[in-house]
Amino acid sequence: MTIGPTIAGGLKLVPEADQDWLILLEIANDGDSDLSRRFASLMDEDSMWEEIVVPELEQEFTKQRLDVMMVVVKAKGGNEEAIHIDKEGAETWYGALNQARLALESKHKFGPRELNSPKEIKDPEARSAYFRNDFYSTIQSLLLRYVMVD
Amino acid sequence: MKAVEAPARKSETQTREKTDKPWQVVVLDDPVNLMEYVSRVLIKIFGFSKEKAEGLMRAVHQQGRAIVWSGGREKGEMYVNQLHSAQLHATLEKAE
Repeated sequence: MTIGPTIAGGLKLVPEADQDWLILLEIANDGDSDLSRRFASLMDEDSMWEEIVVPELEQEFTKQRLDVMMVVVKAKGGNEEAIHIDKEGAETWYGALNQARLALESKHKFGPRELNSPKEIKDPEARSAYFRNDFYSTIQSLLLRYVMVD
Repeated sequence: MKAVEAPARKSETQTREKTDKPWQVVVLDDPVNLMEYVSRVLIKIFGFSKEKAEGLMRAVHQQGRAIVWSGGREKGEMYVNQLHSAQLHATLEKAE
C-alpha cells in the first residue's frame, strides 16, 4: 500500500493488493464496543457516567467505525484506485484508528512502543495485531502531520 | 444562673472552604495516544497555548498523569466527557 499527502491537503491511501484492502477493513473490526465502558470505569459512581455518558460515546464511536468501514467497502466495491481522506473526514478516520489501537492494546498489552519488539511476540494473533497497530499508528501520524493541521 | 457559653462555630468561610474543595481533571498516560494528538486535544478543549499543552502532555507521559484543570464538579465532568470523546484516558478527582 502506498500512502501519501495530496496537494489538496488530504491523504491518499492506494491499496495495491487484496491484503491491503483487508487491513483497511480490519480498522473497523479491530475497534470494540467496550471503549466507552472502559472510560466509565475511570469515573466514580456519583458521576452517573455509565447511565448518561456511555450511551452517547458508544453512539459516537460506533459511527466512526461504520463511516470508515463504509468508505473502504464502497471504494473496494467500486474498484476505486485509492481512498482519499480530506480534512473533513480526518477526525473520523483518526478516531476509528485510535479505537482499533486502544482495543488491540487492551487485548494484547503491548505497552509503550519503544519498550517492545515484534521479535519477542510468539503468538501469531498477537504478532499480527502488533503489525496492524503499527500500521494504524503510521496513518495517524500522517493524518496529524498533513491533514489535521490548523 | 450561670450563663452558658455558646459552642464555638466554624465560620461560614471555613465551612465553605472545606466543602468547596475544587475538583481536578486528570489526564492519564496510555501507550496508544500519540503525544502530538494529546497536545492538540488539550489546546482544543481548554484553549491552552501550544507551550502549556506540550508541557502537560510531557507530564502525562513522564509522570503517568497530570492535572490539567481545577474547578467545579459540573464543569469538570463536561471536560472529562470531551476528553473521553477524544479517546484520552481522563478522570475527575477531588483536590487533596
